[in-house]
Amino acid sequence: MRKPWIMAVALPLALTACGGSAPPGTEGTGQGGGGGGAGETITIGSLHPLSGAAAADGQQMDNGAQLAVDAINEAGGIESLGGAQLELASADTQGAPEVGQSEAQRLIQEGAVALVGTYQSAVSQNVAAVAERNSVPFVIDVSSADQILQQGYRFTFRLQPSAAVLGQRGAQYLAEVSENAGQPAQRVAVLHEQGPFGTAITASFTEEAQSAGMEVGPVISYDPASVSDFTTQITTIREAGADVLMVAGYYRDGVLVANAVDTVQPGLDAVWGVANGAFDTPQFPGEVGEAGEGFFDANYRLDTTNPETQALAELYQQTYGDEIRTAAVLSYDAVRVIADALERAGDASPQAVRDAIAETELESLIAQEGPISFDENGENANAAPILMQVLEGAVRQVYPEEYAETEPVYPATPGL
Amino acid sequence: MTGGTTASGAPATSRGAGSAGEPADDTPVAAGPPRRSRAAAWRRVAIVLAVAVLALGLAYWRAGNEVVVTQAVLTGLMIGGVYGLVAMGLTLIFGVLDIVNFAHGAFLAIALYTTVEMVGRFDVHPYLALLVSVPLMFLLGAAVQRFVLAGAIGRPLENQLLITLGIALLIDNGLLLFFGPNPRSVRLPGDSGVQVLGAVVTVSRLLAFAVALVLAALLYLLLQRTRLGTAIRAVAANDTGAQMVGIDTRRIYTVTFALGTACAGAAGVLVAPLVTIEPTTGELFNIIAFVVVVLGGMGNVVGALVGGLLIGLTEQLGALYLPGQSPLLSVFIVFVLVLFLRPQGLFGRSA
Repeated sequence: MRKPWIMAVALPLALTACGGSAPPGTEGTGQGGGGGGAGETITIGSLHPLSGAAAADGQQMDNGAQLAVDAINEAGGIESLGGAQLELASADTQGAPEVGQSEAQRLIQEGAVALVGTYQSAVSQNVAAVAERNSVPFVIDVSSADQILQQGYRFTFRLQPSAAVLGQRGAQYLAEVSENAGQPAQRVAVLHEQGPFGTAITASFTEEAQSAGMEVGPVISYDPASVSDFTTQITTIREAGADVLMVAGYYRDGVLVANAVDTVQPGLDAVWGVANGAFDTPQFPGEVGEAGEGFFDANYRLDTTNPETQALAELYQQTYGDEIRTAAVLSYDAVRVIADALERAGDASPQAVRDAIAETELESLIAQEGPISFDENGENANAAPILMQVLEGAVRQVYPEEYAETEPVYPATPGL
Repeated sequence: MTGGTTASGAPATSRGAGSAGEPADDTPVAAGPPRRSRAAAWRRVAIVLAVAVLALGLAYWRAGNEVVVTQAVLTGLMIGGVYGLVAMGLTLIFGVLDIVNFAHGAFLAIALYTTVEMVGRFDVHPYLALLVSVPLMFLLGAAVQRFVLAGAIGRPLENQLLITLGIALLIDNGLLLFFGPNPRSVRLPGDSGVQVLGAVVTVSRLLAFAVALVLAALLYLLLQRTRLGTAIRAVAANDTGAQMVGIDTRRIYTVTFALGTACAGAAGVLVAPLVTIEPTTGELFNIIAFVVVVLGGMGNVVGALVGGLLIGLTEQLGALYLPGQSPLLSVFIVFVLVLFLRPQGLFGRSA
């Protein structure tokens, strides 16, 4: 099907409307202005959902990738390639796997030496296949599905923790935090979106929670695209006598869960998000108000204790007039990984870049347990979530200790 | 079931003389005495009620916890009210004009953003946005019908389908352009939980439900008791015939479409406190609204309301019957069953 003309018109407009000008000089560079123009231009493809239901995150991620390109160019480009400048070619996946696939093909044909993306697991799955066929490296910034990297692909790498790690750590943090508070969680109810993401998180969470001695149930799934009210589900959970509710889902449904918990008052010790798309976003406390107070989320997170990350957050706010989200920082990191590989390879061919990425040792702007480095499947070996909590209307890092901005409050009965 | 079935040789897309279209409800035009069809309608209502009671009994028996079932029923009714509210405008457009309108959800999204902007800028009560949203959407609907869709009337279905899909894309991306992708929300002042028989429901949902009932009644009266309503039904039944007796069919098409979008405008304001508002939020309601319209009977506003309630209840009780399944599964089981038994929908007339 041909792309409707309106998309072609609306999107560039939408992007220019959101800014897209080069950022002001980053720390240390007085007169950046262009960098070393001696080298050629190297294209990196950015594939994100710029329109459709996930446009808010997608545009943030594309902006994050753009800021990384600008920062690298301003610092003199790729020095081992004579100061070659980077250029970001942005494509809109619309959140649709087939669109992502054709756009990836297009970017590769237009000479992209590497790709970053894509947010939706189904889209990343397709893009990874295209990258593999064309032997072009693909660095996944956000997509959790485990199976993407279980195909034996050699050109695909992932920055965010996999669903297996997210679920396992989510349960481990719950056991530790509730234990430390002297109120060990015993009965955990689960509410998860029915797609591969929610199902995978639930599976790894359940396994770890049971081995930590918790009972898991009832487990209730829902369709995130059509759900409009959770009062029945939360009532079921209240009647089952659960003391903690684990929630794995996206933004819109997370807000509905908070509202339903507020309405039903199920008397939980905690609402415990795992990789939840709502509970750790800057806009969540504003949207649900008191209803979201005390909500936890175990998720990957930009490291607010890192000065570099703070500077990036400030730059983002200045450039785009919006609070940066973790997803955008992951895209920023993904571009840094590619630039670092180019620098070490001294060669802009996709194969050389791929080989250099495999050898990466790079400090991350995301909170994780060491530098970015990839195992043989392409998973980021040190990626791990941290625990956040909504306290006094703001999302704060609370656990593990080295990333804690403040102590976790447990039990945190919602609405109190 | 009621009325003589006209053996229709004309394809469904041409709406000429001798077409298969039937009036939306009892009219003198209808074959068969009105009293008989009214009795039949009541009989259908009774059957629907009986099935609902049976389903409830089963749910109580299966779930073994009455609080959960009561909550499911209450939530189902409330959600169903919203579905009915959204579907009412569509049943006018889809059921009466035969326009497959994929832009209905997008029109609703405009009303959502109207509400957000009014609350944000003037700090008024969200429901005051009705005063702006309804007339605005009426005019917008009239303009869209007059200048964009008029040429597609009587043409193959896919023409309208593509046009309305294009309009939906235009609106979605226009909203994305003007308001950005970040989610917004609207709060109803004093919105809190109300206890009903051990279950709980928020004020905003109760109000949306009440307005759904009121709007259904208003539309029903408009269609049944006014000259305009009679003209709309005449055009729906047979537009060539309507033209012959001096009805300005073009104007009726425009007014009906405008009424339908105005209903979307009203629905948008009432739904605003219940959802996260993003440019694509309207799309959530599209599929379910079509399901409700077909289930309730094309062009029948009361059918839309009953259909909405039925779908809402099915969704909630289905989640109890089939835990771990998508609630949409039970919705489509009911949908297919109803259409198998009554291809014209619960309150539709045989065509």
